[in-house]
Amino acid sequence: MGICSTVGPCCCGGGVMGRRLPQIFFALSTLALVLIVVAVWQASTPSWKDYQRRFFQLESQAEPNAVTKAAVLATPPQIHQILLPGLQRVDRCTTCHLGVDDPTMKNAPEPFRYHAGLGSHIPSKFGCTICHGGQGLATDVKGAHGSVPFWQDPLLAKGYIRASCGRCHKEGDVPGVPELTAGRRLFETEGCHGCHKLNGVGGSIGPDLTEEGASHRSPEWLEGHFLAPNVVSAGSAMPNFHFTKQQARELSYYMLSLTNADMGFFYSSLRLIPSPEYGRQLFEEKDCIVCHAIGGVGAKTGPDLLAVTKRHSPEWLDEQLVNPQLVYPGSSMPEYDLEANARKALVAFMSSATAEDAQSILAHRGNALTPADVAIEAGKRDFARFGCAGCHGTELQGGVPNPNAQGGQIPSLLHVSDDYTKGEIIEVIRNGRVPPLENPAGPTPPLYMPSWKKLMSDEDIHQIVDFLWSKQQKAKDSW
Amino acid sequence: MNLIREIWQSIVRRDPLSTDKGKSELVFLNVWLHIHPAKVKKENLRFKYTFYLGFITFFLFVILLTTGIALMCYYRPFPPQAYQDMKDLEFVVYMGPFLRAMHRWAAHGMVVCVFLHMCRVFYTASYKKPRQFNWVVGVLLLLLTLGLSFTGYLLPWDQLAYWAITVGTNIGSYAPIIGGQVREILLGGHTVGEAALLRFYVLHVAILPSALILLTIVHFWRIRKDGGLSRPTWKLKPNQPEALVTIGAPAQVEPLRTVAASKDKTYGLMEVVTGKPIFETIEADEEEDAVFSYPYAFFREAIALMVTVTGIMAISLFFHAPLEQLANPAKTPNPAKAPWYFLGLQELVSHSALLGGVVAPALMVLALLAIPYFDRNPSRRPTDRKWAIWLFTIFVVVNLVLIVIGTFFRGPGWAFVPPWVHVVAGAE
Repeated sequence: MGICSTVGPCCCGGGVMGRRLPQIFFALSTLALVLIVVAVWQASTPSWKDYQRRFFQLESQAEPNAVTKAAVLATPPQIHQILLPGLQRVDRCTTCHLGVDDPTMKNAPEPFRYHAGLGSHIPSKFGCTICHGGQGLATDVKGAHGSVPFWQDPLLAKGYIRASCGRCHKEGDVPGVPELTAGRRLFETEGCHGCHKLNGVGGSIGPDLTEEGASHRSPEWLEGHFLAPNVVSAGSAMPNFHFTKQQARELSYYMLSLTNADMGFFYSSLRLIPSPEYGRQLFEEKDCIVCHAIGGVGAKTGPDLLAVTKRHSPEWLDEQLVNPQLVYPGSSMPEYDLEANARKALVAFMSSATAEDAQSILAHRGNALTPADVAIEAGKRDFARFGCAGCHGTELQGGVPNPNAQGGQIPSLLHVSDDYTKGEIIEVIRNGRVPPLENPAGPTPPLYMPSWKKLMSDEDIHQIVDFLWSKQQKAKDSW
Repeated sequence: MNLIREIWQSIVRRDPLSTDKGKSELVFLNVWLHIHPAKVKKENLRFKYTFYLGFITFFLFVILLTTGIALMCYYRPFPPQAYQDMKDLEFVVYMGPFLRAMHRWAAHGMVVCVFLHMCRVFYTASYKKPRQFNWVVGVLLLLLTLGLSFTGYLLPWDQLAYWAITVGTNIGSYAPIIGGQVREILLGGHTVGEAALLRFYVLHVAILPSALILLTIVHFWRIRKDGGLSRPTWKLKPNQPEALVTIGAPAQVEPLRTVAASKDKTYGLMEVVTGKPIFETIEADEEEDAVFSYPYAFFREAIALMVTVTGIMAISLFFHAPLEQLANPAKTPNPAKAPWYFLGLQELVSHSALLGGVVAPALMVLALLAIPYFDRNPSRRPTDRKWAIWLFTIFVVVNLVLIVIGTFFRGPGWAFVPPWVHVVAGAE
């Protein structure tokens, strides 16, 4: 380094600086090395390794033999994961929850305890997060339990885990979860469809609920919202339906079960195995007999379904059930939003259905049908299906508060025939209507009559009007 | 022992470094000759003049290349696997979070350093003759850096990425006539989707890095041919009247160019080559101010490298790269923001789409490219170029202010919200 002294005072501190250069370089290199060691240490000591060590200690206690004991303790730590392509997820929960499918761990402390009572839902086929929620990909406690920013689906609260049964068991009764079944029924009967879309069907006044279960809402929020919408979210247009605590809980169950996630064929509910029995059940549930006859028994609005499977291929029938309008433009058959397996079940039932079946189904319905009754019955179902009851009430009584609309509430439909002609009402349903204001200077009322012409066929609208008029008749008669 | 020495000699092919000849040969007989001459001027090494920003930028790029290649081993460029791969990097890949954080912070750092480097070059007037075109190359490198950062932004396929790119490409589509088409070509469709992810990936790992490497080589080579790193020539002792020499042509033909000549020799290559110089010349008395590149320049640069690497490593140990939820075209965050370096543009766009999204950035780039040809003032002394310095400072400050406003002062609906006011996100 003698050269530097001969260069004289150089700009950066001269010879001294020059001599120090290698030293600084060496110091920085050492620092880099230290940082690498820290990074390696950070990467090599994840928390799951601790859990595995504790689990192996627990497991080795039960081993009588010293050799096996040592072998258990020496198990190399590794990440366990359940690959579930059908559910589009990877669950690594069993990296720490190592005793989940080991009955000897029945009394082990968490996170190692055996998961009892799973029945056919074994972890190796279903994973964990499909029921429990949480972030299956994560391998640290906080991240895996999903209560971290930017993860939509945290662990479900203990009392609500069964809500996720509805993610696969999408129709009918869910065994062991009466809340879910009841919640679904409430959703249908209270007319929630009138304002909320679900899988593309329904109104647009309120938010789409198709993915409500994946929206990071807590059960408490949902229940509070059902009990008093305005308290939880100020300015909400949703009327207070005065649900009971139990009903709010049931509806919350249903909301938490709603996801748009594609569950894959294997995971659809076993109840949806397309058996003729299930098909018959659906035939009764959907009241097909109101329009269709089998072997001459039943209504004549739609075609007779006897041996319909001989006239059409299963594919054709399936398409017809998905969207009747596509197969027969102008068909008066409504869309029923049926699962693939439900459609298969219906077709299976069709292939064996006879006049006797129709007879017994009719007998179950309790009352015989005249053609006029059939139309009114269809109107009643449309009234429920399109969610009119949400605002106008299941008994047409109206009365849902609508601030600053004339009368301050949704009008009752009981006396609609006194004030309007059928034609006028058809126009209102077709094009919708903003209610006249009580105070012209005040705010726009939150609720209004939407335009239904894109969602309902003319047939539907006429049936609904017939249904409304039939109610008037009855009201007048009783009076 | 002799054999070992022989092998070593066959590798290095030079005299021991304890001798001046060895030091000289280390450069002259090596690829280093493309970067440095055997001796460099002391002023070139002055930290307060260059801040080593060019080197730091280059070293950041090297970090990005190495970590980027490693990341490519874990990444599938199609949704939603791309997002799952990010999660895997975070949770199961050995040192995955560290790797990704290094790539992310080095990328942000590179955008910052390229910009600072440009400022340095402007304030020292280093773009002046004969380095005009190298400034243009530098501006192109700045644009490529922004392009690389922007394309890389989409790859994690989370909400942040998806909406930043949606907003960013929307800004581009305001250009008249071609805007929409450019956006469509870039995205492979009308919205950010699978095709866009694949195209951004190809741009990010193949096209843009190749272009950047190519231009970097040109950039460095030109610095070398233009007499090494620029230095504050106006602070040197006043020159004697320069002798001129013609280059590249016999006396009877019009000369290619005329440059100042040193008295008798060129200190270009091995410090001992006789003949006439090409461009910048070295005065005889300046010669004394030169030192051997090894160790003086090389160690300083190695130190800059180590500072860069350790800095990025230290930051990456404590701050991991963020990852939001899976991209969801149906859920627009409010406000949806472009990457931070485009937030100045987005701020302008919020006032006028055409002026802010097209005219202003186009003028900015054109103005930057034109600077060396527009600025006819031959002096590099700061006191002689007050106007230029004022104008450029205003340009820098306006850009920074716009970015700060866009980043910290804009809330839902692009309303003015100071950062200390808490906005309830997702209120209904």
